[in-house]
Amino acid sequence: MPWQIDMIVLFFVILCAVAAITVKDLLSTAILFGAYSFMMCLLWAVMGAVDVAFTEASVGAGVSTVFFVAAVFRTSRRTKD
Amino acid sequence: MMTGETFLSVAVQAAMGMLLVGMVMVLFRLAKGPGAADRVIAMDLLSVLVVAFLVVLSIHTRKTSYMDVAIAYACIAFLGTIALVRFIHRASVQKQLRQKQKTPARPLPDHSGEKNHD
Repeated sequence: MPWQIDMIVLFFVILCAVAAITVKDLLSTAILFGAYSFMMCLLWAVMGAVDVAFTEASVGAGVSTVFFVAAVFRTSRRTKD
Repeated sequence: MMTGETFLSVAVQAAMGMLLVGMVMVLFRLAKGPGAADRVIAMDLLSVLVVAFLVVLSIHTRKTSYMDVAIAYACIAFLGTIALVRFIHRASVQKQLRQKQKTPARPLPDHSGEKNHD
């Protein structure tokens, strides 16, 4: 696998992470964290760790986004800072 | 004349490039998108692109284990979208209920006005 694809996917991961901590809307932060998890899964798969990518896909994409959204729904949607 | 192998490798690399360009556009909308609905749609589209990229990767490396990741991913990726859509739906329903609770307050001044006319 050429290293360019690794670097491009890693750039996407960093973009998602920076956007997730910059955005003020907490629901958008949950969505961006889900996208971060997607790109992280893709990065594991590109680097050859298929089982880690499998776990990341099932936990990060499925469960953690739902938990974050449920937590945002039970609490406030805007950040105070 | 191109052989089958070279054509497959060129096609796989072109597909990877196009999927990465699509991911760039989707991530732009994801980072900039003014509303939460734009971001939900962008995340759903991103999951489709990631699944397609994993399938292309499995063709490129000739390993079937990438296909398992893609299948598990496609089975699970809709859960987050459904949770977010339910959240947005419930928030809009609550907003409508709040507006309905506000609206009965409006006819009361009208009644008082009629009484004043009488």
